[in-house]
Amino acid sequence: MPDLTPGARFPDLELPDHAGNVRRLSELVGGDPTVLQTYRGWWCPKEQAFLRERLVPFQEEVEVAYARIVSLSVDAPEVAAAFRAGVGARWTFLCDPERTAQTELNLRETTDTTNDPYVPAVFVLRPDLTIHTAYNGYWYWGRPTTDELARDLRDVTREIRDDWDAPTP
Amino acid sequence: MSWHWIALVPDGPPPKQPAGAATATTLDGTAAGTLAIWTSHAKPLRDARRVDGRLLDDAGAPAVVSLVRPPAGVRLKFDDGAVQQARRRILALGQPFDAVTTLMSDSSHFEGSLVVARGDDAVARLRDDPFARIFDAVLLRVGAGVLGTMPAPAGPCIERYGSAQPWPWDVYAA
Repeated sequence: MPDLTPGARFPDLELPDHAGNVRRLSELVGGDPTVLQTYRGWWCPKEQAFLRERLVPFQEEVEVAYARIVSLSVDAPEVAAAFRAGVGARWTFLCDPERTAQTELNLRETTDTTNDPYVPAVFVLRPDLTIHTAYNGYWYWGRPTTDELARDLRDVTREIRDDWDAPTP
Repeated sequence: MSWHWIALVPDGPPPKQPAGAATATTLDGTAAGTLAIWTSHAKPLRDARRVDGRLLDDAGAPAVVSLVRPPAGVRLKFDDGAVQQARRRILALGQPFDAVTTLMSDSSHFEGSLVVARGDDAVARLRDDPFARIFDAVLLRVGAGVLGTMPAPAGPCIERYGSAQPWPWDVYAA
């Protein structure tokens, strides 16, 4: 059972993305601080709200600030692609319809036996995939605000960028 | 090295032994020259521009490309709103292209792009190349032996120009 608490290393998952291409998490993270979000599925109104009201507006800042977002669900690629396009997301959605990673991560939401979705969670990762912060989003108010995400990304960026203090002449 | 040089050589064989090259024709079959990629550090010819090194595959299959080049003497900063929006459009695509790279000769100016597609719908998809809204594009059929397939940009980063890496290079050099 992986440890998904701050300080532990998040497993380097390998899953198809929303276009069906197999992607490795470390490849998507590259060298940047990353917000990794697990979500129940396109059908959940809480996920729709969280994406539309928080993550999609937040991407405007993330895309110019050397950081990443990755989403993960049990939706099949064609479903994730439609959901991604519908909410206006421009980051990569990973797809786990076989629930292999979900089992590895022990993130199955056991109270929904119809959809067997992921437990909603948000992890802020360092480039080496160690977890800086973990948010439990089972209850909607457990999810991070954009201010909290900005603080986390500031902390990680300060840790990893040698030039955090602007170079002087 | 994570970037290479590319040029469309209109006449004769490419100089200085490229690492990959193939003939290019327009969609109506008119010869357009040779598309060549060099891995040398030195610029092989005046019109060459830097591209993401992952574009090169000397065993790559034939492809259709949308080649966008600015008019002579014109170049835009990557900060230009049109360039930013074209990159956002590339990231928002549901079906990614086989490869995408901007063209550049320094670390801050957009000097064109090359978008690669394959398959029956390649031409139709390339007619909607987001970079073609910035400057004119030419669609070319390129033979085997030069163009590979790159992973789709991870997104949502559009900031990848300050280190002389052609966008969407999205992994820092080790």
